[in-house]
Amino acid sequence: MSKTLTIEELTRVEGHGGITIIIEGETVKDVKMNIFEGPRFFESIIKTVYYDKIPDIMRRICAICTASHSLASIRAIEHAFNIDVSDQTQILRDLLIHGETIESHALHVFMLALPDYLGYPDALKMASDHLDKVKAALELKKAGNLIHNTISGREVHGMNERVGGFSRIPSERKLENIREEMLKVKAAAELGVELLARKEPQLNFNSKNIFMALNPGEKYGFIGDEILISDGSRHNINDYLNIVKERVVNYSTSKISTYKNHPFMVGALARLILNKNKLEGTAKTMFKKYQQLIREDNPLSNNIAQAIELVHSVERAEFLVNELLSRGVRDEHLPSVKVKEARGVGAVEAPRGILYHDYTFDKSGCVIKCNVITPTAQNIANMEKHYREIVEALIKEEENMIKRHLELVARAYDPCISCSTHIIRVKR
Amino acid sequence: MTWIIKNEKPKIGVFSLTGCAGDQLMILNLEDTLIELLAKFDIKSFQEASSYSENTKLDIAFIEGSVSTDHDLKILKNIRENSSLLVAIGDCAINGCVQAMRNNQTSIAERMLDVYGVKDNVYNALEPKGVGEYVKVDAEIPGCPIEKEEVFNAFISLLNGDMPLIPDYPVCVECKLNGYPCVIIEESKPCLGPIITAGCDARCPGLGLDCIGCRGAIRGETNAKAELETLRKRGYNDKYIINRLRFFAGNFEDIKNLGVREASKGERDE
Repeated sequence: MSKTLTIEELTRVEGHGGITIIIEGETVKDVKMNIFEGPRFFESIIKTVYYDKIPDIMRRICAICTASHSLASIRAIEHAFNIDVSDQTQILRDLLIHGETIESHALHVFMLALPDYLGYPDALKMASDHLDKVKAALELKKAGNLIHNTISGREVHGMNERVGGFSRIPSERKLENIREEMLKVKAAAELGVELLARKEPQLNFNSKNIFMALNPGEKYGFIGDEILISDGSRHNINDYLNIVKERVVNYSTSKISTYKNHPFMVGALARLILNKNKLEGTAKTMFKKYQQLIREDNPLSNNIAQAIELVHSVERAEFLVNELLSRGVRDEHLPSVKVKEARGVGAVEAPRGILYHDYTFDKSGCVIKCNVITPTAQNIANMEKHYREIVEALIKEEENMIKRHLELVARAYDPCISCSTHIIRVKR
Repeated sequence: MTWIIKNEKPKIGVFSLTGCAGDQLMILNLEDTLIELLAKFDIKSFQEASSYSENTKLDIAFIEGSVSTDHDLKILKNIRENSSLLVAIGDCAINGCVQAMRNNQTSIAERMLDVYGVKDNVYNALEPKGVGEYVKVDAEIPGCPIEKEEVFNAFISLLNGDMPLIPDYPVCVECKLNGYPCVIIEESKPCLGPIITAGCDARCPGLGLDCIGCRGAIRGETNAKAELETLRKRGYNDKYIINRLRFFAGNFEDIKNLGVREASKGERDE
């Protein structure tokens, strides 16, 4: 006898998706992550657009990772047309991505994940008993948004970061505001780690995870041109199509990705495992303190990994502002761009993991082929693996309990479903 | 215009169809006032923020996202039936946003083939459109994303029985009030400010950039052909300009038929 367990619509996630599990007797027959976010066909609609406005369109794939999309897009274009950027630009971009991480992780850690741990349906209802925690989340989100606003021009879908640099360099006064804000929210960020460390739910998973993250260079960060994999291999991002294999499935508007036929995981936990020796300051101390809670086989550890990154990004943003101010902020003009027939790949660690943009241009600088692979799309196969494990472990329990745990696992991945649908390969 | 408030604490729902969820996010970005503001309403549904949801009659439904699948349309009709007021928030829900930019130009089958490698419309995708194409809309809050001050003011207006007030003049007005130099005249940039709804305080020209039209064209006031001519005179070719005009206006009456053939030919003259 077979029965179907369905979560119609996951809540407290970005976008629209559900889970279907088919159980026969005491065996899990099938596991599907259903994505019913409507397809938006970005890789198709962008064709014929001149390079200068591509990032403005492509960043609209996602609201919460808008800066990641815009920077992945910009870097793909710069790689295609061989454009180098100044040190100041690189620092400002780092700062912007740390701002996005702060804002996104604050929202997820405190307002989307924490209510599960404390037993509330949402942050607003949690606020009646835990106002301090909700206020901490809002303060952090606001601090991340201040960085977005200052560097990118708006909290969501900004415009100031361009191919080659920035349209307007923020003033020293505005950068000082960022520094003041970072100092103010340090304690709130640390609270996130402490809360999750106290409440880490006890669930066991048996299979080993394969992790992938970008090599950020010397410092723990989110921009890079090399893919690190937990099997020890390293690859240039230009080889991403050989690393991340995608296939279309008919139950979802997203695609399923595998590495050597195995599911893999991207995101905060993957970054922390692969780049932990680059952590500094308070984040390093907190990582050491709670290392035993960060279990490589447990996707729920992604929550505390995000909380540690939150602490790191707050301190790092303060450091980057100091760096900019000590160098003296200079006005810079955007370089002139010589377009040509070319292809370029750009990658950024979005809050949820590696994000790839890949464009091919004709000689007039208009895009003729485009491919985007989002982190959530890469994680879907791994999510399904963990859904299966959790259902197998709880198969004798009542349905509502299984569902609650499935949601807990889904949410730990911080899936960005609005992103995941755009995933896509232009026909090759 | 006013509406009659039936409940002291209006019952509201925040819903989302196909889009980036950025307008819900902008509501959550009202960090300083969020908790106090939402406490004035009886929230029955807010998908991005809460697992709590109640299927009930609403005083006001806020909808973001475009109608892009059969599923979206079904949800929309259900919301309309159960709500006294329906407010479209953001460009997706009003005009269909960037995902509508190729409407009339390429078919869903072509887009399916480009992206998923199959022609069949297995996802029951529709040409992306705003909700007003299918149901009656009582108010609109424009933008991609919405401006948080504007949405805050809209919530307060609605609470007091008034309809939200949205500018009916172009971005150029705010650009001039700010004293920014005109990026079309001074720098020959392809700015869409003359035909786009104000309310952003001319954010892009303020950063030395040309407006890309994210707040949507002004209804009944837009002269898209004049904009096309202006940019042609500045040396931009039709393919470039028409793509530009279509970014946020693939369904917009004055613009949707522009470039149905032209877009596939011509290079940018520089």
